[in-house]
Amino acid sequence: MKFLIVDDSRIMRNIIKNIINLLKIKDVEYREASDGIEAYKILEEDNIDILFLDWNMPHLNGLDLVRKLRSIGKFTNLPIIMITSEAAKYNVIEAVKEGVDDYIVKPIREDTFLKKLKKFIDKCST
Amino acid sequence: MEIKYINPFIEATKGVFFNFFNKTPDVKTPYLIRKEEPHKWDISAIIGIAGEARGAVVLSFSKFLATYLTSILVDREVKEIDDDVVDTLGEMVNIIAGNAKKGLEEYMLVISLPSIVTGINHEIRWPGSRNISIIGIPFHSSCGEFTLSVGLENII
Repeated sequence: MKFLIVDDSRIMRNIIKNIINLLKIKDVEYREASDGIEAYKILEEDNIDILFLDWNMPHLNGLDLVRKLRSIGKFTNLPIIMITSEAAKYNVIEAVKEGVDDYIVKPIREDTFLKKLKKFIDKCST
Repeated sequence: MEIKYINPFIEATKGVFFNFFNKTPDVKTPYLIRKEEPHKWDISAIIGIAGEARGAVVLSFSKFLATYLTSILVDREVKEIDDDVVDTLGEMVNIIAGNAKKGLEEYMLVISLPSIVTGINHEIRWPGSRNISIIGIPFHSSCGEFTLSVGLENII
């Protein structure tokens, strides 16, 4: 499986990778990006199975990337998990409305994140 | 000052500390900060707030504590303020401000990207009118002290 982790914090990207590694998924490959523009380039050139996306980033933020992806046919079904500090209800509603499949509030609670992620992985594997 | 506006920031700070470092800092008595007041900190992470209230959230540390906490996250000894320290503090203030929005939902706040200021007694200039009240929230942890300062026009 190929995962794309997008966050402007390198430390946060490492934390996310370390948590995902707890699932001990066979043949997992990570791609990383620090903003929406870089992420879009990777999505165009590679077959990504799940996108992990921060909201507040420079150049192109996470929500604007979601809007862009959902308007392009080949990305309409790409699983997107938003991982952000934005904890207000109106932020969650806005993100889901724009096409985010799941929403995780930072700091990440390992158990909740892994439970949610497992569902996506099972779906991708079937 | 109403404590209900300060509590979301205190809870968010405790939450991020516990999650990142497995430590719960104690909160000391919050106090009113005068604008551009001199301080003892070496590094501050700042995030601007807009929306129905304007202001900023500032997280300030000594060099020792900033490098010590970063060492825990990156699993190597960090002695100087480097990119990893900047990344750590920026992410912490981002999480604190983003999480605190949940307790202040009626104001529809929007947060900026974080910035970092360094240097002994570096100057922090606060946005908003002259009458903005800035509340300093001192924290004490087993590895040192730090301060979270919050100034929000029309709220605090």
